[in-house]
Amino acid sequence: MTEPVSAAASPAGPAPDSSSSGRPGQEAGGTREQIEAAIAERRRRRARRDRRTYLAIRIVSLAVVLAAWQWYGMHSIAIIFDPITKVLAALAHLWREGGLGSAIWYSLWTFAIGYLAGLIAGVVIGMCIGAYQKAEAAAGLYLQALYATPMVAIVPLLSIWLGFGVLTQELIIALFVLFPSVVTVSYGVRNLDTDLLEVARSLRMSRLSLWRHVLLPGTVPYIAAGAAQGVAMGLVGMFIAEIFTQLTGLGNLLETAAQTYHTDEALAVLLVIMTLGVLLRALITFIQRKVAPWAK
Amino acid sequence: MADKARLRAGTPADAPAPESPQAGGRIECENVYKWFPGGIVLEDVSLTVEAGQFVCIVGPSGCGKTTLLRMMGGLAEADHGRVTIGGTAVTGPDPRVAVVFQHFGLFPWKSVYRNVALPLQLARVGRAELDRRAGEAIAAVGLAGHERKYPAQLSGGMKQRAGLARALATAPDVLLMDEPFAAVDAQVREVLQEDLLALRDRLRQTIVFITHSIDEAITLGDRILVMATRPGRIVRDIRVPIDQPRTIAQVRRHPAYAGLREEIWDRLRQSAKDLAGEQ
Repeated sequence: MTEPVSAAASPAGPAPDSSSSGRPGQEAGGTREQIEAAIAERRRRRARRDRRTYLAIRIVSLAVVLAAWQWYGMHSIAIIFDPITKVLAALAHLWREGGLGSAIWYSLWTFAIGYLAGLIAGVVIGMCIGAYQKAEAAAGLYLQALYATPMVAIVPLLSIWLGFGVLTQELIIALFVLFPSVVTVSYGVRNLDTDLLEVARSLRMSRLSLWRHVLLPGTVPYIAAGAAQGVAMGLVGMFIAEIFTQLTGLGNLLETAAQTYHTDEALAVLLVIMTLGVLLRALITFIQRKVAPWAK
Repeated sequence: MADKARLRAGTPADAPAPESPQAGGRIECENVYKWFPGGIVLEDVSLTVEAGQFVCIVGPSGCGKTTLLRMMGGLAEADHGRVTIGGTAVTGPDPRVAVVFQHFGLFPWKSVYRNVALPLQLARVGRAELDRRAGEAIAAVGLAGHERKYPAQLSGGMKQRAGLARALATAPDVLLMDEPFAAVDAQVREVLQEDLLALRDRLRQTIVFITHSIDEAITLGDRILVMATRPGRIVRDIRVPIDQPRTIAQVRRHPAYAGLREEIWDRLRQSAKDLAGEQ
């Protein structure tokens, strides 16, 4: 397929070879629209080629990692490490007989509730202390103190106060999600373009309008960043919750496998977690693109 | 009289300000002082801008010209003295005043149409009226057809057109422009200047226009205020003897042009040397 190079070089004149891009219905002697279409087509093709290149790199990289895994697994003791084939078999076994499905279901539900609660609270608190210095003065110190505290240290206390049920687990996850989102969102509000705040002032926006037209939309990229960070932190919280309160869901599977030296099963659970993490982050990115197409 | 000017322009969709009362656009600053932590920014500034006048303020960085403009727009407060528009003291942002910002001040999450319609929306203008006035303002600055684009999809020149359209949408008496063309490149700037001249001829708003550029000031202004720095003050008040309506070419060929340029440059040379680090 010939690229219509000369068409791009002389946009004003007729470009006979713009037709050679080979698309049906395109006539010789390019009008401006045809030339532009040809250029756009070329850009699309280049973008597609780039995407294919990166996809290929990913596949190769994945193959290398899996091969290395397999090789190392086959050359080490079963208790220490297992080859990928054995891990996948364990995964299938867990799925069929080990209750992997219901474990994923339980963990995901707990995660979803805790995550959303933590994220919503984090966004609200982050926006308030970001936007209002008085709120920052009132609450900032405690938030910083709690942020600096390892959340794991709070888990035994929460268990004393609230017991070992699912509520405690959700709360732990929420706390893990809360702090990164508070920090990110309050930073986002504080770093809003001061020019835009000046515009808002000159337009005499009410407080409500300011939130609706400026603060909220302007913070969306930071909310998304906080949400993405929250996925990672929330998954940490989920495991801590499931292992330190009562053994449930994926945490239970992992802990049981490790206690009984079923390394293949433990690795299988780990694989599930990694996949969940990647998928959840992709979901966040997808939602961000839908909600805020203007933000890169 | 304003109606006549519009009729002459011949494009009825261009003027979003049929109800704009012109007398309200008179700006007065009386003995204005402003201090910043680093020292005095404005010292005893007094000036009157007549309604409908196009005044350019030229001065070096740090002479307080932007501060002065922000005071007129109610975005900054005078530490001493007073600023009035149409006879009433400015105590905060005023609906009769619109500001065009150097870096456009467009909301990236709003399309051109939504950016321009925002002041009307905030003023609770009805749907049909809002549509009409926003559409007229967008047409007036030559952005028709780009309503649905987002700022990131626009060139610098188009962004500032959108910023101007937003300012015009509310039909203000006063237009405050803070180095509006400083962020676009030189050729685009000339086009925008031409367009502003043409637009201005129809709208008859009071315009205060801040610029670094002597040429820009002569091209656009009916009158030029030259400011000096440390402390910021007005050192020259020059009437531009070139008739409106005018074009850039007419201005450049005008016999008074070179003299004016020389006169202003004389006033600014020392500050420029200081800023350039020369002794």
